[in-house]
Amino acid sequence: MGNVLVLAEHRQGALRDVSFEMLAVAPKIAEELGGEAVVLLMGSGMDDMAKKMTGYGLKVMVVDDPAFENFNAEKYQMALSALLDDLKPSVLMVGHTAQGVDFMPALAVEKKLPLVADVVELAFEDGTLKATRQLYSGKVNAVVAFKPADTFLVTFREGAVEAPEASAAGDVEKLDSPLKEEVPYRKFVEYVEAEVGDVDITQSDILVAIGRGLKEDKNLPMVEELATAIKADIAGSRAATDAGWIPHDRQVGTSGKAVKPKLYIAMGISGAFQHLAGMKGAKTIVAINKDPEAPIFTVADYAIVDDMFKVLPKLTEKLKELK
Amino acid sequence: MKTFVCIKYVPDTSEAEVKLNPDGLTVDDSRFSFDINDADNYAVEESVIIKEAQGGEVTVLSIGPKKSEVMIRMAMAKGCDKAVRIEDDRIAAHDPLMVAKVLAGGLKDQEFDLVLTGCMANDDWHMSTGVALAEELGVNHASMVNKVEILDGKVKVNRELEGGLMEVVEVDLPAVLTIQTGINEPRYAPIRGIRQAQKKELNVVSLDDMGIDAAAVNADASQVVLEKLYIPEVESSAEFIEGEPDEKAEKLASILQKGGLV
Amino acid sequence: MQTFTEKYDLLGCIQCGRCTGGCPVTVRADLNVRQFVNDAYDEDKLEELAKLAEIWDCTACHTCAVRCPKGLKPLEVLIGLRTMIVESGKVEPTVRDALQSVLLEGNPWEKSRATRSDWMEGLDVRIADPDEPVENLFFVCCTIAYDPRVRAVAQNMVKLLNKAGVDYAFLPEDESCCGSEVLTLGEEGLFEMQVEDNTEYLNEFKAERIVTLSPHCFTTYKTHYPDLKTPVVHYTQLLVDLLNDGKLSWKGELPKKIVYHDPCYLGKQGGIYDEPRELLKSIPGAELVEFERRRERSLCCEGGGGKMWVESESKKERLSDTRIKDAKELGAEIVAVACPFCVLTLEDSMKGLGYEEEMRVAEIMELLGELMET
Ligand SMILES: Cc1cc2nc3c(=O)[nH]c(=O)nc-3n(C[C@H](O)[C@H](O)[C@H](O)COP(=O)(O)OP(=O)(O)OC[C@H]3O[C@@H](n4cnc5c(N)ncnc54)[C@H](O)[C@@H]3O)c2cc1C
Ligand SMILES: Cc1cc2nc3c(=O)[nH]c(=O)nc-3n(C[C@H](O)[C@H](O)[C@H](O)COP(=O)(O)OP(=O)(O)OC[C@H]3O[C@@H](n4cnc5c(N)ncnc54)[C@H](O)[C@@H]3O)c2cc1C
Ligand code: SF4
Ligand code: SF4
Repeated sequence: MGNVLVLAEHRQGALRDVSFEMLAVAPKIAEELGGEAVVLLMGSGMDDMAKKMTGYGLKVMVVDDPAFENFNAEKYQMALSALLDDLKPSVLMVGHTAQGVDFMPALAVEKKLPLVADVVELAFEDGTLKATRQLYSGKVNAVVAFKPADTFLVTFREGAVEAPEASAAGDVEKLDSPLKEEVPYRKFVEYVEAEVGDVDITQSDILVAIGRGLKEDKNLPMVEELATAIKADIAGSRAATDAGWIPHDRQVGTSGKAVKPKLYIAMGISGAFQHLAGMKGAKTIVAINKDPEAPIFTVADYAIVDDMFKVLPKLTEKLKELK
Repeated sequence: MKTFVCIKYVPDTSEAEVKLNPDGLTVDDSRFSFDINDADNYAVEESVIIKEAQGGEVTVLSIGPKKSEVMIRMAMAKGCDKAVRIEDDRIAAHDPLMVAKVLAGGLKDQEFDLVLTGCMANDDWHMSTGVALAEELGVNHASMVNKVEILDGKVKVNRELEGGLMEVVEVDLPAVLTIQTGINEPRYAPIRGIRQAQKKELNVVSLDDMGIDAAAVNADASQVVLEKLYIPEVESSAEFIEGEPDEKAEKLASILQKGGLV
Repeated sequence: MQTFTEKYDLLGCIQCGRCTGGCPVTVRADLNVRQFVNDAYDEDKLEELAKLAEIWDCTACHTCAVRCPKGLKPLEVLIGLRTMIVESGKVEPTVRDALQSVLLEGNPWEKSRATRSDWMEGLDVRIADPDEPVENLFFVCCTIAYDPRVRAVAQNMVKLLNKAGVDYAFLPEDESCCGSEVLTLGEEGLFEMQVEDNTEYLNEFKAERIVTLSPHCFTTYKTHYPDLKTPVVHYTQLLVDLLNDGKLSWKGELPKKIVYHDPCYLGKQGGIYDEPRELLKSIPGAELVEFERRRERSLCCEGGGGKMWVESESKKERLSDTRIKDAKELGAEIVAVACPFCVLTLEDSMKGLGYEEEMRVAEIMELLGELMET
């Protein structure tokens, strides 16, 4: 039918950013296919969210079923499997998130459909759908083409594109829940927050973030001195928290915190996308890294290519002086 | 508890410059160091921790070249009991769905309670193989796992979600878990252990040995084509501050100060 | 299996305490090496002893071995205990990664083997070939090869050799770690393997001598490689010979007060005290001063013994800080060393103490390199 079906993701009652971001891509693909982009929402008590999703001039299909109260990969796979048979979309787009990666590969295997994961760009070229994805920490891009298939499956990276502006309201269509049988296996137990310590980095104005480049915790005092001098909190990459240099609640990124400080100083952080995803909201980004090729420089406003340990002492000293 | 752990031998590219081969489809890896994939190292450790607590047996499964055997022996030195290395040029390695199919072939006719994989490979970043493997095997799964608790006939795991949130779920065994980094602290494989591990069973098999039809897992069977690789331009609006380290620091300090940022 | 007591000759100890009395780390850590020599006699206690954090405080400076009247090597008891931990696999992640890197890439710095000779870029270096006999076969050292801070040691050496017309060759990138730090970190099995592999590899070359740039490689080859055919020297020995033959001459001068720090591995372990001093004395304009604690009594910088990968719990002053303060008191403008680890530890302290304006830490080859160019 040439439609592009976009699965809107939500958690604990709130829609996730990637749900909107995919709407910047889906209509263009649908146009090439001679179909339309359609949003799919699955959950329990979906009226408010459905309203939010209709603001983009697209039809929103809603499956409202208490069985979907919490995300469950088995249920999602079962429901989408049935919906693919019914709706026969040409493309199914899902966020490349902890939810998306938990069922899309299984769905692809079950339906014998092609899947390209972690896509940052999606476009038609000479009648073929092509996906761009990144390899080797973003140092190489790969273009992957889909061979002809009933439905192309895509998981799309969060933060790869900007969400479009809201426009006219679209229609809401309620679908019967495709879930027939009670799923016996996976059982949702609860959500637990990672432990929060004394500092909440999501509230910080200035963050000094450290990465694996810190090398060892004996180097931490140098960073602390800078942080104290400019009244910043210390955050870091996953490499820094895994190493135990800073507590886990100081981790910035997809599996840590999304932060929005006015100043973010990244030192010894390469800029893996999971990290960048958490800091893109920062107003001004300073990156210090000895590798001129480090991807962190693609998002930086001010960049220093050098050994952070050579720059740090002077920087601290100077900032103290300027106060 | 019978566990399989799937591990991959990957290049370390975090500091190195990456160059492409003239074919435009592969990366020149001659100057990289290779090691076990990060997440897989944690998966190996978790499998051994589970074995130490529950008893049982751990088998390593890996698709990769001969030179990756050192990685396999290291896993055995840490406590894994056996290994199967699959080597076959015909596998469509660019498609995790094909890789999963081959791994599933390696598990066919085997009894198992748990299969652990890494949640993501450092080189290709698909995050797909483990979940696809579960479907191939027709068993349950949970991805991005950073805590495992074995219960009676099932396993309770924490899944790491975005935003520092953990989803706790229970799945019945047998199951595939894709393991997230940080779940444990991987141990060191001492050489004496590696030497003793030389005596452990390591079978090298091809697709034919496993009874897998190459036509089901080769590039023709894959529904996606790797068209090309390219090095993205570092599109940067960044202002690069030049000079000696001290000068750079001073310039940056005054930029921050003048901009009212500190 | 030899028991601990047999292996380290524990019964020979008379508990005189000279080892602990001279041990430099006692001022910062709880380490009492005499106590370990005493307690390790009880095989049942070994596991408990191995769990004590202070076994990782030893820097393998060998002061205790030099001082022991019975010819024991007390530090080896500590290393033996480390071995027990290493073989259980439960070592610090930093140690784990360094050791694993030695196995996989032939260096403890987690660098790829293929990039080991990158320091040669832009230089006219003669590369060794097993089929071509050579007088001086150079072994670079992992730290000098990979750490940009100390690469100049090798780079300047090449320039100097080319200029002096010396018959030399450097090993290609299949040169592997000598195992000095592997040994002291207690990874006995890996070290045995390195000795086997390196002996076979180095014996393929026909050379009059192997010249090492780092005293760690020097001592390790000299004392732990019984089947190595070729004699091993430290570069300062070769350069003094060249100096005496009139093959080295310096341009310009360096009118500075220089203090020489005896690296533990070159002095206490290698017995080389005079050659580095002779080289420094040959520098026009230089004034050589001496630490109070010098030669056999030289204060350890805490760079050896695997300490590059194990941080002390102690927050007390680092020995390298003490050393730099002593140098400052002497009015030294340059702290000269002949060891890459000493450069790293002492320079770190020098910077940490804020003496950057008035003091400099330099490897002797760095100084000589500058005098060739001007
Ligand atoms: C599911 C999942 C979720 C994840 N979530 C997150 C997340 O939330 N947050 C996160 O950060 N990561 C996350 N990661 C990990 C992420 O992929 C990267 O591995 C991680 O961000 C890398 O951290 P890093 O930049 O500190 O280390 P590296 O990538 O190792 O980079 C270190 C950098 O430091 C530089 N450097 C080294 N020494 C110096 C020096 N002396 N001076 C200056 N620069 C130096 C190097 O050039 C290098 O660029 C996640 C991964 C997965 C699979
Ligand atoms: C251009 C290109 C060329 C490539 N060439 C080759 C090649 O010649 N040979 C080759 O082997 N690979 C090759 N690959 C790698 C291949 O793409 C991946 O192995 C495959 O796509 C699986 O995806 P992933 O590694 O991203 O795994 P993810 O979906 O991210 O999952 C990773 C997890 O799956 C498991 N896993 C993945 N691969 C293996 C494996 N090989 N053995 C055991 N467990 C595994 C591990 O537990 C791992 O943690 C190439 C990739 C590209 C992009
Ligand atoms: S080698 Fe040095 S640090 Fe170690 S115990 Fe002996 S004297 Fe102390
Ligand atoms: S110096 Fe030698 S004899 Fe004296 S206590 Fe120490 S080990 Fe024993």
